[in-house]
Amino acid sequence: MSRSDLGTDPYDSVEDDRWIASASASRGEIDSLLQGAGYRVCSTDLRHVAIGLEQLESAMVGDQCVASSAEAIHYNPSDLTAWVDSMLSELAPDPHLPRHPHITATANTWADPTQQRPSLHGLENHHQHRSVPAVSLQSMDEEEDAAIRLVHLLVSCADYVQRGDSEMAGSLLGQTRLALARVNTGFGIGKVAGYFVDALCRRLYPPPLSAAGGGGSAANPEILHHHFYEACPYVKFAHFTANQAILEAFQGHDRVHVVDFNLMHGLQWPALIQALALRPGGPPLLRLTGVGPPSPDGRDALREVGLRLAELARSVQVRFAFRGVAATRLEHVRPWMFQVAPGEAVAVNTVLQLHRLLGDRASPEGGDAAAAEPIDTVLAWIVGLKPKIVTVVEQEADHNKPSFLDRFTEALFYYSTMFDSLEGGRAGGSHRGGHHHHHHQQQQQTVAEAYLQREMCNIVCCEGAARVERHEPLARWRDRLGRAGLRAVHLGSNAFKQASMLLTLFSGEGYCVEEADGCLTLGWHGRPLISASAWRADDDAALPCDHQTLLVLQDHSSSVTSGSNNVVDGDDHHLRQHSVVRNNDTGSGSSCSRV
Amino acid sequence: MPSQSTSEHHVPSSIYAVVQPHQPTMAMDASLAYEQQQQEGRVAEVFAVINDNVDLLAEVLGRLDGRSLAAAGCVCRVWAAVSTRESVWEAVCGRHVEGGAAAGAGARPVVAALGGYRRLYRLCLGPAADRLGAAARLSLSLSLSLFSIDCYERRLGRERGHPRPASLLFLDHNNPVDVS
Repeated sequence: MSRSDLGTDPYDSVEDDRWIASASASRGEIDSLLQGAGYRVCSTDLRHVAIGLEQLESAMVGDQCVASSAEAIHYNPSDLTAWVDSMLSELAPDPHLPRHPHITATANTWADPTQQRPSLHGLENHHQHRSVPAVSLQSMDEEEDAAIRLVHLLVSCADYVQRGDSEMAGSLLGQTRLALARVNTGFGIGKVAGYFVDALCRRLYPPPLSAAGGGGSAANPEILHHHFYEACPYVKFAHFTANQAILEAFQGHDRVHVVDFNLMHGLQWPALIQALALRPGGPPLLRLTGVGPPSPDGRDALREVGLRLAELARSVQVRFAFRGVAATRLEHVRPWMFQVAPGEAVAVNTVLQLHRLLGDRASPEGGDAAAAEPIDTVLAWIVGLKPKIVTVVEQEADHNKPSFLDRFTEALFYYSTMFDSLEGGRAGGSHRGGHHHHHHQQQQQTVAEAYLQREMCNIVCCEGAARVERHEPLARWRDRLGRAGLRAVHLGSNAFKQASMLLTLFSGEGYCVEEADGCLTLGWHGRPLISASAWRADDDAALPCDHQTLLVLQDHSSSVTSGSNNVVDGDDHHLRQHSVVRNNDTGSGSSCSRV
Repeated sequence: MPSQSTSEHHVPSSIYAVVQPHQPTMAMDASLAYEQQQQEGRVAEVFAVINDNVDLLAEVLGRLDGRSLAAAGCVCRVWAAVSTRESVWEAVCGRHVEGGAAAGAGARPVVAALGGYRRLYRLCLGPAADRLGAAARLSLSLSLSLFSIDCYERRLGRERGHPRPASLLFLDHNNPVDVS
């Protein structure tokens, strides 16, 4: 039901009726959606309701009279029409309010209640409580109505951006900023909306020195990630669940090799090293290959992480070897860089990485006719490695829809849930903390929000190759991984118990772990936000490694220089050997050797 | 060592040792009363002083809960030495872990490498017990995983001058002092 097709003038009532008429085929659908959300209202009444709400808002904001509402009887707000009428009847309505363009956007938003909106959920619940004569909480309602209005403005602004009408979008953006001023931006929907307003602004008026992957400060992404890791349980959940699957898959193997698509600080691996050290039968020889972006300042970040992990492994007496692969983009990595030895059990671990390989989705009818995306190439060589286990953790959201407005709306609700969880998780956890503890958590939350803000900005501002945050829901990943020749491995009850315990240790209220067909999802108040799944190659689907690529790239290699990285750049295929950190049984310390 | 009261003015060691003999005090009166009772045969002769038998003390202290054990370390130097013994804390940890002490026996070298049982309790099992209730048990693997992450983060932090690692802060209540 894309409004951009119709090109209607929102001020024309005839056109509006035509819009509603043309949507009559789906009116029944809308009605059932509304009923599913708990509203007893027909879609034909929605326009009337929207106008009424506008009048109500302006009347209540201007009207300081509180006493009269104490005796009034309000209809149950699920019956929107009657409720609005009853509210208006006691306040003096202004019959000459102009109709605003975002009224139709209101209808649009009401018609999509299938999306969970916990931050607005609370607002709806509050309205329900006023169905009996009650003291009017004037300021609270103002706040809520302002928040709802803010969301409407944001969505309609995005609508104009999608249509290319930057003038209207710009003016709406101004209105949105005003609306933002009336809402508490310290928490909840106000805070998230603030970030989205900035992102929309950046999209409309890109700053002159916009960096690729826009919206970020110059902050180190690993540090942001580290704070996000500590502020909320999502990444910990991912790591622990993946490690459990990897551990189980490695049972009985003497030599194991883990490939990590995004090493960062390597926080996932100490736990695995420890678990391997303690496994019955003794630890295997563990090799870890970590992929990451090349360090900007000449420092070899990957190698440093490798050294730390090697130290830890040495202290618990696990034979360990590390290799780093530096690549600006994941699709430039090739399987031969991992140097998988025959007889090794391989585990491929991708936490929040695979979505970066996706491209623009074709229209819904397109199906498999789309051109080969990098994801398919990468999945093909992953399968070619014949891994014992592939652990995939992804955001549970659809931020790769073809329509900008759809992406924007989904992202708005997804990140507001995320932010709610950051807020809620913190409040619960610090109930016994001292002042310093509280302050520290506050700091951490701020940096964690900066991490999320980067993602949000990428989704809103970037297009084409620059947009890397192309989240897709688990259902789509299942299809994709299935087509590539991977079969799902059930995660098992141990993983579930561990995840539940992990959450209980955090301020448990609000977070929920769910199991869905062998995959685990972690969410906030019933809305799943991150999913973890495990896969293995089908035995007959394994393809040989791409040795052709090996030869081609070797032809371009420059002479080997000492102690430098394996830098794989899309532009120039220079290859230099990477230093390998090897941890010997004798514990003589790590040595760097060129392979 | 049980002391035999052979001499007339024998004062049982340790507890009363701090009292100056020539100053009349309640303790002095008590000991005189004790002597009297002993001579009257109403009190057993064996008087065990716990500080002379530190292994026994370790056995006793190992049955305390974490907080009490930590507090016990403040009593005197002997108790401080005993209450920082790894074996004592191993016993304490064993009671908070699924499967009990037996399950954790093989983990000793790993725990030692990661920082020891006392630290394991302080950073992980203790706060978890506070959060979950004294009866709850954490799985050994989960607690050691969290412990290993903390150990690793400390090394990272030291290397790069990062702010203190905070992964386990979610379990912690007060701003912990780094006693590494």
